[in-house]
Formats: sequence, C-alpha cells, structure tokens
Amino acid sequence: MFEDGKYKRNPDVSWRTIEGQAVLIHNRNSEVIVVNEVGTLIWEQFDEGLESILRNIQDTFEVSRADAESDAREFLEQLISAGALLPR
Amino acid sequence: MEQSAFVQVVSKATMANHPAFASIELTYQCNLACRFCYNPVQRRGQVRSHPVPEPGAPPLTFEEIVAILDQLKAMNVLFLTLTGGEPLVHPRFWDIAAAAKVRGFALRIFTNGALIDEAVADRLAELRPFCLEISIHGATPETAEALNQVKGSHVRVMRALELLKERELLVFLKCVVTKLVENELEGIVAIADRFGYSIFFDPHLYTSTDGEAYPLDLKASDEALYRLFSAKGLNIGNSPFEGTPEINCSVASGSLHIDPMGNVHPCVQWDESVGNVRNATLQEIWEGASRLVEIREMNRRLPQLLQESCGDASFCNFCPAASRRELGSPTTMTEQHLRVARIRRAAHEDAGDPA
Repeated sequence: MFEDGKYKRNPDVSWRTIEGQAVLIHNRNSEVIVVNEVGTLIWEQFDEGLESILRNIQDTFEVSRADAESDAREFLEQLISAGALLPR
Repeated sequence: MEQSAFVQVVSKATMANHPAFASIELTYQCNLACRFCYNPVQRRGQVRSHPVPEPGAPPLTFEEIVAILDQLKAMNVLFLTLTGGEPLVHPRFWDIAAAAKVRGFALRIFTNGALIDEAVADRLAELRPFCLEISIHGATPETAEALNQVKGSHVRVMRALELLKERELLVFLKCVVTKLVENELEGIVAIADRFGYSIFFDPHLYTSTDGEAYPLDLKASDEALYRLFSAKGLNIGNSPFEGTPEINCSVASGSLHIDPMGNVHPCVQWDESVGNVRNATLQEIWEGASRLVEIREMNRRLPQLLQESCGDASFCNFCPAASRRELGSPTTMTEQHLRVARIRRAAHEDAGDPA
C-alpha cells in the first residue's frame, strides 16, 4: 500500500510528457504506460509529496479532496504494481 | 505495451511536429562490411561510380555528443537510437550510452551483434537500454557472411542472441530481404522463434546516402517477395514502432537524425542536411530550417499524391528519402516501390485479405 515519502521513481523508467500525457517506458520489462491527465500531474509532481499533489489535482480538475485522494492512491498503487515506483 | 494509446500519443506529437524519436549515427566505422550498407564509406567490394565524398568535418567529440543529448532532452525526445556504422566500435560508446540513460531517454541500440560477447552483454544488462535491434543477414554462416563479408561473424551473432536472452534484454531482429537470403526466410523465422524475439523483414534496399546504386544489385526476386508477403504473421518493415496513420512517415515531424559530423537530417535516409549542431542548436534548426517546413508539408500531402499516381501505393511502405535519392523527387515512387507494391498487393488479393 502506498505511503507518502516511502517511494521513489524507478530510475529504470524512462519518461517524458508528450502532448500533455506522461509516457513511461520500463526498461526492465519493456512495458509502456501512457498516463492520463490526472496521472500525468501525479507522476510529474511525485517528488513534491501527496499533499501537494492532492491540492493541485483539486485546483486543476475541480474535484473534491476525497475523490482526488481516492483516484491518486489508486493510480499510485498501479505504479507500484507496474514497478514504476520503488521503495526508497 | 499499451500499443494503441502509445501510437495515439506519438501520432499527436508527430502531427504537432514534436519529435519523440531521434537517432545519432555515432560513427560510420564498422566491424562488418555489409555489401548493401548505405553509409557513405567504402566497404569491401562495393562498386561506386564516384569516390566516397570527404566528410568535410571531424567527427563529433564526446562533449559535443553530450551537448546534443541535453538539447534532445530539452526538446522532449523520448526514444533515442544510437546507430552507425556499428555504434559499439565508437571509443566512447559506453560513456555516451550512460549519459543518455542519465538523461532519461529510452535507448534503442542498432547493432550487428557480432561484438557482443559475455562481457559486452553484461555491460548491456547493466546499462539496460529499452531495446537492441539486431540485423540478421542469413540463417546460415554461408549466407550471412556472403553479405557481411566477415568469417565467423554469424556464430558470434547467434551467441550474442543467446547472451542477451539470458540477461532478459529486449531484442528485435531485422532482416533486409536480399537475393542472398531470400531462400532462408523460414530459417530466420526459426532463429527468432528459438529466442522468442520478434523479427521484421524489410523488402526495401536503399541506395547509399552518397547516391550509389550498388545496394540495389542485391534485390530479391519477385517470387521471394511474393512468398514473403504471402506468409502469415510476418512483420513487414524495418521498425517495431508503428507509424503515424495520418501521414506517410515521421520524417521531419516526429523524428530527427544527426550524423557523425553533427549534420542534422530529417531522417536517417534523408541525406540532405538541414543544419549542423556546431552552428546552431537543435531547437533552432528544428524550428527555423525552412527546408524542414517544406518536407513536413510534402509528407502530409504524400498519401494522397501517391494514391493518385499509383493504386498500389498503400502496399509499399513508401520512403520519400529513397525516392529523392534515386529519382530526385521525394513524391515519386521508385521502380522498387512499384515492384514491392505490385507484388504485395497480388499476395494480399490472392490470399483474399482486405487491402
């Protein structure tokens, strides 16, 4: 389960934001992940911590704090499963 | 791979002239001497009508290449191909590859594989490129070495495939279909299957980038191409990456290419330079070269132009750079394009496949 501050981006994941969508390439399993707008914000701002990310999601997408947190946690879990985030 | 989402986002970038792909030819030097090599250097046995032109400038230094990497990163390029010649013979290959990885590129390494022994395979495993794309010139040493003219190379390439498999590196195999290999395509598929690698068969031969036609002497027979296009489930083309459906290819829009002297090209096959990294930044060249604008516009018109000139056009994987070199016109199908298109269409129709 995702815990803020306990994960880092996997250095074996190459990525760029292309036309507003983060494209993640996992160089160990060759998986390519194309992320939606909310996920792109989360990925780009990952180092700023969950609180900051949630505020930015609320501001940018005009959603409630509860919805933002639920979506963000679900996405972060997916990133952990995909190996895009690693324990620090 | 989320192929459709990936293709969509790359297509969107290409249509907006944001390159997601770039390639650098680190060197024209090579440990093999492939008879069809399109590099502007004299390989053994190639018959040229003119001497190879002088390079006109020294090769890029390591520092210049690192500056290029910084610029490509700033331009948001994701996939970076290191190619040649044989990139592994560049004296600073490992430093360049490491510098590229640190900058977050997904690395593609185009190699002939013959230099990959256990130690090199270990270093590649440590480097962890996105993929290696390896040329296969034959299913047997006799055939492969008739093309690359180096004894013992085939065994070394087969061993390399094994070593890379053991290290779980992603490998794509590529075979240019020549008259030398045309009767061994099944054997090549068997090699790919043995290692579990995808293989791409390219039916096109390219004149050399200094305009010599000797590679075309190796063209495969009509019968062999028909068998190739009739076979079920084979990948036709030279890249594991799908193109952008809206336009002909990614030339000058979704990709750019830099040669060993720092000349910038709209793609690896487009021999005309649109600038040099020693005189301007890549961003300045990409945004400011009027020639790139012309090529982009031409490329967008191409699908319609080709369809109007030849009903078979959609069957040939048209390469405007090849046409430009051979005919002086990037919008005209070469004899080879027309032949490939005709045979491929016939194979599809005979199989009852939709166009």
